[in-house]
Amino acid sequence: MVYDGIVIGLIIGLLRAGWHPGLVALSQIRIRGGWIFPALLAVQLLIFSIQDRVSFIGQYSGWMFMAVYIVGLYVLWLNRAEKGIWIIFIGVAMNFLVMLVNGGRMPVSLEAASAVLDPVYTQMLKDGVGAAKHYALDDSTRLSFLGDIIPIAPPYPRTQVISIGDVVMNIGIFLYLQSVMLKNKTRASFVESKSHKS
Amino acid sequence: MGIARRVIQQFQKPGIGYLALVCLTGAVLFLSGNRFSFLSFSNDQWVLLYAMVAAVQILDRYVFRLPPDGNVQSMDSSVYLAAIFVYGLDFSLCILLFSSCIALFHSQLAWWKHLFNFSIYSMMISGASVVFALLGGENGSIDNYHLHAYILTLIAYFCINALTFGLYLYLVHKGNLFEILRSFLSDALFAYLSTLLLSLVLVILIVSHRSFGLFLFLAIAMLLSHAFRQLFNMYDQLNEKANKDQRTGLFNHSYFEEKLEDYIKEYRERGTTFSLALLDLDDFKKYNDKFGHPRGDKLLGFFGALLKEACEPDQLFVARYGGEEFAIILPGFAQVQAKAFIDNLRKHVNDTHYEGVEVLPHGCLSFSAGIVEVGEMSYDKSQLVDLADRALYVAKAKGKNTVLLYGEQSSLPTSIEEEINEIEQHIRIFLSKDVYTFKHSKRVFSYAFEMADELRLSDEERRVLALGALIHDIGKLEIPRDILNKKSRLTIEEWEIVKKHVLWGKEFVLATGKYKELVPLVELHHERYDGKGYPHGLKGHEIPRLARMLCIIDSFDAMTTERPYQDTKTFEEALHELERCSGTQFDPALVQAFVPYIRHKTGSAIATARQQANG
Repeated sequence: MVYDGIVIGLIIGLLRAGWHPGLVALSQIRIRGGWIFPALLAVQLLIFSIQDRVSFIGQYSGWMFMAVYIVGLYVLWLNRAEKGIWIIFIGVAMNFLVMLVNGGRMPVSLEAASAVLDPVYTQMLKDGVGAAKHYALDDSTRLSFLGDIIPIAPPYPRTQVISIGDVVMNIGIFLYLQSVMLKNKTRASFVESKSHKS
Repeated sequence: MGIARRVIQQFQKPGIGYLALVCLTGAVLFLSGNRFSFLSFSNDQWVLLYAMVAAVQILDRYVFRLPPDGNVQSMDSSVYLAAIFVYGLDFSLCILLFSSCIALFHSQLAWWKHLFNFSIYSMMISGASVVFALLGGENGSIDNYHLHAYILTLIAYFCINALTFGLYLYLVHKGNLFEILRSFLSDALFAYLSTLLLSLVLVILIVSHRSFGLFLFLAIAMLLSHAFRQLFNMYDQLNEKANKDQRTGLFNHSYFEEKLEDYIKEYRERGTTFSLALLDLDDFKKYNDKFGHPRGDKLLGFFGALLKEACEPDQLFVARYGGEEFAIILPGFAQVQAKAFIDNLRKHVNDTHYEGVEVLPHGCLSFSAGIVEVGEMSYDKSQLVDLADRALYVAKAKGKNTVLLYGEQSSLPTSIEEEINEIEQHIRIFLSKDVYTFKHSKRVFSYAFEMADELRLSDEERRVLALGALIHDIGKLEIPRDILNKKSRLTIEEWEIVKKHVLWGKEFVLATGKYKELVPLVELHHERYDGKGYPHGLKGHEIPRLARMLCIIDSFDAMTTERPYQDTKTFEEALHELERCSGTQFDPALVQAFVPYIRHKTGSAIATARQQANG
């Protein structure tokens, strides 16, 4: 779901700013502590790949993902002055919160999942296999309204079950990309109008 | 104790008390209708709530700006109403609660405004829901047989909104409640109607397709809002073009007149004072002749920018009046403050160098200005401009680069006797036509002259009252002799002709050009204090004070003189008559000044007569 906000934000940003200025603006993005994001991704992939082999890591993978979240939140906090980042922070924090109170895993609503997803996936959820980050939501789940309970289905091009935190985060990403990509455009048009006058 | 008292005092202000009342009502209604049921929502209900709250957020962002004032109309009401219709009061209030929390975070409004908004919405939603339930409306899809329930619910929702908000404006801004509600209606009625009807559309969409229906609705709303914004921007640009003067970037003459009228209206309704300054660049013609018009135009542009810069911090209204004349409206400025401000501006302009100003006599950029504060002398905008213009004229005559208040030293050093003589020549024409009017004018003049002392008028007011008294009936020149000298009662048509003499008189005075400041006296000396006079039906203090005074003198003399269409009264009877009509026809305060003056005058006349008889 993280990608949807990025893709939509990029497409609309390019449409609004124009191909060239949009790309130029993107190339000028500066994020404080930006190097941490790829590092986090690498850590996640690492955990993902070895959790089946190393039992210790498999047991605590949920908590390790939590640590990844905390570092991610910290980077977002550093950049909170940028437009939209603050909203991403809130979205991520909502996801983080619900995972925190549910043992480091994201609860997924079976009703919602069975409504839109492949039954294979639903079955996997029920059996509790495969997905280290997700588990089936039940009565004992705390703050279930923050879990993956929103079914996304056609006419939206992807089928998914997402959480409200995902939605908020994507809105933030979208707004951030818009503000970044349109920065140059407003400046350009300002210069233009000035040169007209003189 | 001190704090408590201060809090109580705050609450005694009507606006604050009202706010507190609304907030309390809103909170009570919210609690009785909601009871935080979202705590036990199922996941499905949560998803629905998310969608609805998101919809409200989007609609709050994509608002509709309505010309001409740019009022903002949000369509979020359609979501609340649809929620009432489909899911009931409780759910609708949940949406409101979450939306308000989000609004609290991202908008810059003061916290109490959020609370006020929340309470008003809470009242509207609760009220609408009660109406819906009373009329037998059922939650769920739209029941075609109960359409009246939906319509009346929508009306109730709108009425609560208009009343609560209108009352607030009424209490805070002290306007006329009826007027506020009317402007509310005329401004937003159509936008509101469409919002309400769209709520029904939303109900149908939600019931048949749930979130996809909601999505479609939002997409349309966003696109429409975008289109409206374009339209409003266009309107704004055109408006700006129509109201601005291209050369100087200031407002233009016609917009100035419009604004001036607004300010005068506000002064009449609420008593908010303002001053008007007319500025004229000194010796601009010399500059133009020397450097040519293009350079002159540039100077005008430069001066305009200078004025704008100086006046912007105080939010004064600056316009190019025409040619090298500029007008500034200074809201809230009494004339003394206005003079200080304009005088400062003058010094600032003097100190600002501009290429070529060495050719000007002062060796620098300078202007002359005339200032007048709105008041009883100025009952309409052209009168106000005339007064300022007169002061400007005197300022010019005094050697330019000067700022003068109207009345400060407004009569040029020509003696009043000369002017009296001149006007007397005009009314001498009555000698052959209607000798009564001639004599009447002379007598009214002498009363007025003495009353001016009695009222301790300033020199300028004294001059206006005396000259105005002399010329006030000049319009009767146009009335046919047959009517003027008719012994029997006048017919209605003849009366209409007689009444017109005030307007003819005004035209006559305007045509001579020299005595514009006498116009109110000529035009308005038949207005009555209670508003039943002619020609305009002005009331109380809308009539300039001197015109009210002239009205008393004129009536007194008319009553005590033999006239073709009236019996004569003695002085004493006439004074009684004045007292009887004080407050209806006449200004009571002025009658109180006039009656003792006449009594004293006749008393001393009788005394001297006796003395002479005795001696």
